[in-house]
Amino acid sequence: MRNGMNGVSVAIFALMVALLLLPSASPLLAEPEERLPFNKYGWFDQVVFFSEPSRDKALDMLIKGDMDAYFIDISDPVAFKKIKESPQLEYDFSYGLYYELTFNPVGPTYKDGRLNPFSVPRIREAMNYVIDRDYIVNEIMGGLAVPKFTCLVKALPEGQRYIDILDEIEDMYSYDFDKGKTIIDAEMRKLGATLVGDKWYYNGEPVKVKFIIRVEDARKPIGDYVATQLEKLGFTVERMYMTFREAARYWIWGDPAEGQWDIYTGGWITTAVSRDDSDNFLFFYTPEGLPGFPLWDAYKPAPEFYDVAKKLAYRQFKSIEERNELMRKAIELSLKDSVRVWLVDQTAVWVRRKGLFLIADYAGGYPTPIWALTMNRDEKMGGTARIASAEVISDPWNPIAPSDAIYDTMLYDYGVTEAAFSLHPKTGLPVPINVKTVQMWAKEGLLTSANEETKDWFNLTFVDEVTVPPDAWYGWDVENQKIVTAKEAGVTTANVKFIVDYGDVLNRTVYHDGTKRTLADFIIPWILNFERADPKSPWYDESSVPNFEVYRENFVAWRIVSLEPLKIEYYVNEVQLDAEIIAADYTLWPDMPWHTIAIGMLAEKNREAAFSSSKADKLDVEWMNYIAGPSLKILEKYLNEAYNEGYIPFKNFMEKYVTTAEAKRRYKLYKEFYEKYGHFWVGDGPYYLEKVDAVAHTALLKAVRLLPYTIEKPARFLSEFMIYPFEIVAFGFDKSIVWKYYPAADIKSGPEGVSLVVGGPKVNIHTKVAFEEAGIKFEGNKMVVPGAGTYEARWAKMDHGIAILIGDNLYVAGITRFGTEAALLFVKEHKLNKALVIVKWEDKNGNGQVDLDEITAVFEKL
Amino acid sequence: MPPVVKVLVKRALILFVIVLIATYITILVANVGGYIDELKKKEIEFQVAQAVQNNPQYKDLSPTEKTALIKKLAQVEIKRQGLDQPFIIRSFRYLWDAITLDLGRAEKMTSDSGSRSVKVIILERLPQTILLFTTATVINFFIGLFGGLSLSRKFGSFLDRLVIYLSPTSAIPGWFYGIFLIMIFYTWLHVLPPGGLVDYPPPPDPVGYVLSVLKHMILPLLSWIVSSFFIGIYSNRTFFLLYSTEDYVEVAKAKGLPPGQIERRYILRPALPPIITTFAFAVVFSWSGAIITETVFNWPGLGLTYYQAINLVDVPVIVGITVVFGYLIAATVFILDILYGLVDPRIKAGMGEAL
Repeated sequence: MRNGMNGVSVAIFALMVALLLLPSASPLLAEPEERLPFNKYGWFDQVVFFSEPSRDKALDMLIKGDMDAYFIDISDPVAFKKIKESPQLEYDFSYGLYYELTFNPVGPTYKDGRLNPFSVPRIREAMNYVIDRDYIVNEIMGGLAVPKFTCLVKALPEGQRYIDILDEIEDMYSYDFDKGKTIIDAEMRKLGATLVGDKWYYNGEPVKVKFIIRVEDARKPIGDYVATQLEKLGFTVERMYMTFREAARYWIWGDPAEGQWDIYTGGWITTAVSRDDSDNFLFFYTPEGLPGFPLWDAYKPAPEFYDVAKKLAYRQFKSIEERNELMRKAIELSLKDSVRVWLVDQTAVWVRRKGLFLIADYAGGYPTPIWALTMNRDEKMGGTARIASAEVISDPWNPIAPSDAIYDTMLYDYGVTEAAFSLHPKTGLPVPINVKTVQMWAKEGLLTSANEETKDWFNLTFVDEVTVPPDAWYGWDVENQKIVTAKEAGVTTANVKFIVDYGDVLNRTVYHDGTKRTLADFIIPWILNFERADPKSPWYDESSVPNFEVYRENFVAWRIVSLEPLKIEYYVNEVQLDAEIIAADYTLWPDMPWHTIAIGMLAEKNREAAFSSSKADKLDVEWMNYIAGPSLKILEKYLNEAYNEGYIPFKNFMEKYVTTAEAKRRYKLYKEFYEKYGHFWVGDGPYYLEKVDAVAHTALLKAVRLLPYTIEKPARFLSEFMIYPFEIVAFGFDKSIVWKYYPAADIKSGPEGVSLVVGGPKVNIHTKVAFEEAGIKFEGNKMVVPGAGTYEARWAKMDHGIAILIGDNLYVAGITRFGTEAALLFVKEHKLNKALVIVKWEDKNGNGQVDLDEITAVFEKL
Repeated sequence: MPPVVKVLVKRALILFVIVLIATYITILVANVGGYIDELKKKEIEFQVAQAVQNNPQYKDLSPTEKTALIKKLAQVEIKRQGLDQPFIIRSFRYLWDAITLDLGRAEKMTSDSGSRSVKVIILERLPQTILLFTTATVINFFIGLFGGLSLSRKFGSFLDRLVIYLSPTSAIPGWFYGIFLIMIFYTWLHVLPPGGLVDYPPPPDPVGYVLSVLKHMILPLLSWIVSSFFIGIYSNRTFFLLYSTEDYVEVAKAKGLPPGQIERRYILRPALPPIITTFAFAVVFSWSGAIITETVFNWPGLGLTYYQAINLVDVPVIVGITVVFGYLIAATVFILDILYGLVDPRIKAGMGEAL
């Protein structure tokens, strides 16, 4: 099991990347999407994934209609021109890649006595003036980039937070070659260099700049341009063209004091929207960034800058205001230091066929964690989407330690399974996917806060102390196979407590093999975490230990407080600036049922396969793959064994939660699933894996709507409810209201399955029962909704109506029939990602009818 | 021991030793004598450091905690790749795995189906490689053979001159023709797929699947055939012309033997050993795939696997593919030695010793 954000937020990084790109009409400050069109049953009937590494060919296929979206960015300005000109295509941008100049800080001279001008901060700072970033953007990158002056990406949250000072910096350091040259001339003379003709000399030798220029991407022309500028300054430039591996032995792990290089064209990439980059200054500019790496060890930042960078990275500030001040200071001082001169933020282009809706993550583009929930064509269900990526299916899939390649995660994690939370593709804030609300209590004084955008599902309160109840589960005793309570562990307090209300998620058929989710699905994977980190366990895997230690350090305990709805209380010590991220990091969510994990556990216990690549190598067995290859036969064997035995992992403890009969039932359904689809990948996402052809590198996903059994996912939003089939329940006059908007409706007298119940509690008994349980009262001409206020009506003039999701059903009611009609019309015509809306109707045109333009939403809540 | 067996055993032993030496040299070269280990370790540390730095879940760790975590995670990966062992020990393990054809485990790569077994990595790609490139090689061979034979009879004709004039077109590699063919048959006419192994989604029935694969083979196959067409015919035509000017052919012609009999008995028969040799090696080499053609047509063949292994410096895979081809070539040489004796009565086992 992966918790809320695992796999979603694993931002990979990396240097050097072979891409490049642009914004013509600055899309940087585009507003986040107002509404994400979620559909947990999958908008498309089927989604086909296949590999197409050639971007040119992919464009051709997109234009011809043989592909609907390309999950790889396009970097060529010529290709971008073609995209813009094509009437068949649409595009989006992402901003996760950036280029800079890395300077060797050693000096003023190297071991061999050669002068390094860039050991002088003033000279490095002056380099900001002598590089025309607009030239790089327009002439080299064809507009597919924006100028960059600091280590923050302007389009991402931290960049937006400090946009004013970033703009000031841009003005302050705008291109002024003469100014830069004047500063550099003065500093060079101070170093003892002399200008002979138009060349600098030191100790009778020309001042040579050894410049490593990467050749795989736009850094080659950028490097050539910078080299030319350096030559104009009087330096003798040795252009060293290299690939990543060739260059790495110089700039990453070579001794900078040897003077084998002076400047390197660096490139960095991030694939997730980060909301906190305060440690960037320590990472990029100080020896603590990467201790043990010779280049970083050579950094000697000014004491003031180092101090600020440390305070930010170690979170030595007491308020957001103080952090803001430190960030502003760090931004300014980083320019004074300039061991890196930032050049451009590349703008990556993502392409899709016109009419196909996809959201591009600001850092990672189209393969976002919510692509499967939101990708649609006109918000209509049905049809096929054909998606290509450079690679499809690269490494093994298993529930515990699968591949982390995007070519796999975009399928198994984002397409076939869901999570408790996802991250908003543009703001990086958690978006609840399978959580209704979170209540959090944090210790007074902790530097964390809630965001305005999350107020309808998240609430944060500060308290003097957070006490951990003695019966909360602290850990798992591997030797004695029992839970260790907080009391037994001697744990009494934590930094943060939060209660997650998941809603009615238990005992519903949600997994693709037709099994129901139960508490055991939450508990078994959690116990397995402890087993994998303990040498006494047969599932011990030393590769899991480092991450487990971090988890153990931050996670305190948890406790199940309610089953219907499921509510779990968590206690943690982690502190993040955004309190929502703390919740998202530790909220458990079983995206795969426990029995899928159990057969892998048997295979690993018997040393025939292993969950992690590391343990598989150690045991010289297969890295467990649930979808293809030699693992399938092994897993099949253990599925049969598990079925025959009614195997329940950690039985002594788990038999309180699972019976042998239930275990057998699960294995039977699992066997049927395997026999039908030929793989073991069972998730809870909007699509299931119908077919996988690993050699042809293609996968076919189908909507869970098409499974032979009914998947039960209660709608979280009114918009979600309205897109699924439902029955309609109404009485008396309300029937005529229903027929007005649903002329063909077969109106029932009681809920049958998922139902839209129309009418107030006075006329509709079902509404009455549901509203009484929810505490919603109708008294005379008043409606009282807990937490939402009191609303009134004036017959035929003004009314209020409510639409609310309770359990599986949507209840629509008004104080009078006008309010009922107004609420029904409103939810039918408006797609709301809310679970509750209260509308107001006023007969503005005096016709005594309910018209759409007379209705306004006065209250909305998740 | 009969002289034939003695010669064959000796021959087999020599070939085995050659494969053994070639394999160990490959191991040394692929690792740059162990130097690459240090680079790999540093690369792992750097990549782990980057991953930790960029993972939002680690944002609340202090730099000291991050450094400790990086060290532990890097160590796990270093150990996993076996880089904690001295290269010399690993080199003999690689050699043993290779020579016994166990082939061992890849360090970084996985097969299409996710296995780290080098054997599975190779075996999963081999069928597609054979399907495409061996088919192309066989077709090209027979086009060249019969085209060349036919043209040698029409020496000096218009067709003969045309083939001579067009033979330089074969200087253009197959993948280059491939790009043109894609432009014509996909971009322009939109009648054939631009690449890949099968349609997406793959047809569910086996017959449909096979037909779909055949459809996807047309363009890459055509690109190789077009590329070799004229040079294949031209070189065979020249080859047969040389044989047809031998004295014994002239004598046969003077005797008035029919042309068909002259071709079969006096030209083809003595030319058979080099023809068989060429064919056998062409088939063996076709099993290694073709990197650029596979790239152009997105064809999952062994050439790309080899290329990827070299890029990643995945030594067991490089060594595995090398040793498999080493054995294949050695086996081909060995079998050819036997075949020569069968098809050419002038070659006799043990003759060299007798002399």
